[in-house]
Amino acid sequence: MKGHNPRPEEAGSAEGLITEAAVLKAGDRVVYPNQGVCRVTGTEVKEIAGQRLELVRMEREEDGAAVMVPRNKVASIGLRRVASQEYVEGVFHYLAAQYSDPELDWKIRHRDNADRLITGGVLGIAEVVKGLHSLSRIRPLPTKEREQYDNARHLLVAEISAALDIPAALAEDYVDYALMPPAGTKFQLKPPPKPVELPVRLSRRKPIARAEEDIGLEDLGLELGEVAELGEAALGEEKAEGEAVEGEAGETAEAVEGEAGEAAAPAEAPARGGKPARAARKPAPAARKAAPRKAEKARSPKKAAKKAPARKAEKKAPRGGRR
Amino acid sequence: MIRIVLLDSLDPSDVAFLCKTLYQAFGLGTEPAGERKLPASAEADDGRVDAVKLVREAGAPKVIADDKILFLCSADLSLEPGPLGEPPCWGFAQQGGERAVVSTKRMPARGVSESSIENFRRRLARESIHFVGHLWELHHCYDARCAMHPSWSPNLPANPEMDLCNFCRDKSERKIRLAKT
Repeated sequence: MKGHNPRPEEAGSAEGLITEAAVLKAGDRVVYPNQGVCRVTGTEVKEIAGQRLELVRMEREEDGAAVMVPRNKVASIGLRRVASQEYVEGVFHYLAAQYSDPELDWKIRHRDNADRLITGGVLGIAEVVKGLHSLSRIRPLPTKEREQYDNARHLLVAEISAALDIPAALAEDYVDYALMPPAGTKFQLKPPPKPVELPVRLSRRKPIARAEEDIGLEDLGLELGEVAELGEAALGEEKAEGEAVEGEAGETAEAVEGEAGEAAAPAEAPARGGKPARAARKPAPAARKAAPRKAEKARSPKKAAKKAPARKAEKKAPRGGRR
Repeated sequence: MIRIVLLDSLDPSDVAFLCKTLYQAFGLGTEPAGERKLPASAEADDGRVDAVKLVREAGAPKVIADDKILFLCSADLSLEPGPLGEPPCWGFAQQGGERAVVSTKRMPARGVSESSIENFRRRLARESIHFVGHLWELHHCYDARCAMHPSWSPNLPANPEMDLCNFCRDKSERKIRLAKT
């Protein structure tokens, strides 16, 4: 999932979080979030894109895939030590405990689960497995969450297997023995470890670029001041042409709104067939004036619906103000 | 190729049924590969057999890359107890590995009637699919109708299905496609 990479230091830290690369040495076993258990094989210097980078080299235990992390990024990616045996035992007590109601809003649930997998440590992964498992009792999981459940289970099994030094299949049996105990089984449960707090998530939407920044003026070789002057001049001409133009003014105004949207964001909404809209290439004089003012408004999704009237107005434009 | 090795005697018709079912489940050729003795080193003090040791130490036929070996036995298998106790053991497989074992000890008695034989075969096939699935890196599935659902689960019906769910089937097919051979 793109955009789902909260920095671990923004959240509460999971057990054994590695905050500096200096503590890593060859042979250490670490957990790379969303990748699984890796073994540090050493450091090396590489030149990448003209930059000399010092990298920590790791090997994923599962398949031997090489993972290289710049030393200065070690703190921010959420690399951590394999959980201790005592902590993993606490995780089993968590898995076997009763579960409260799962989050029913799938967007929030999916986002939180993605965060837990990255920043939550082994208990966070167990929370995802348990949460989705509980939900699957209510109804089958959708494909996306089914995959997330399988990934989380894979990560959990791999880490438990590494922590307890047992085969992965045995670790999975332990997990499911806690999640789905045979009829009549009762456990003497202890309080589980405290879960890691998830980061407070602010809106991740990109700030909207100001209208004058991207309406394509640079392509036309104009500056905003010139456009305003041109627009006023064109308005004067329109007035001089008389009342006939006024009949179409409403449609032209519609066109202006629609076209301004396209002109303001040509890359976002290219015309069908890959060709840029005619109006975006050569905006009507009125559009030139209105574009900066209307561009902000034109960004709303509703404006897409106004494209059709815009084209209609565009056809009529030669009779009116456009030349 | 899946090779079935008998550590205890089993009716040939049951083995034939198992070969056919495994072939249908994974699309891989399946054949009996003879009999072997249960390794004495795997026997524990309590009379049971350590499943992890058995899988590691049992004698096996010659295999080539991506071949899987399924041992069938009737011994009471045991696992090392975990933090919450010892899970019931129907078999064991090396996750993503080469060897698995299934025991008939906990299965319904074969009996002599057609229905009991059918039930026995279906359960044997279901457990074999389950552990061969582990060999292809499948995890346990929450769907009680899937063969990858844990064998001891209270949600499992008396005569469970011997098929994989769509997700597990797709995953196994993907893994098999990506295999070396």
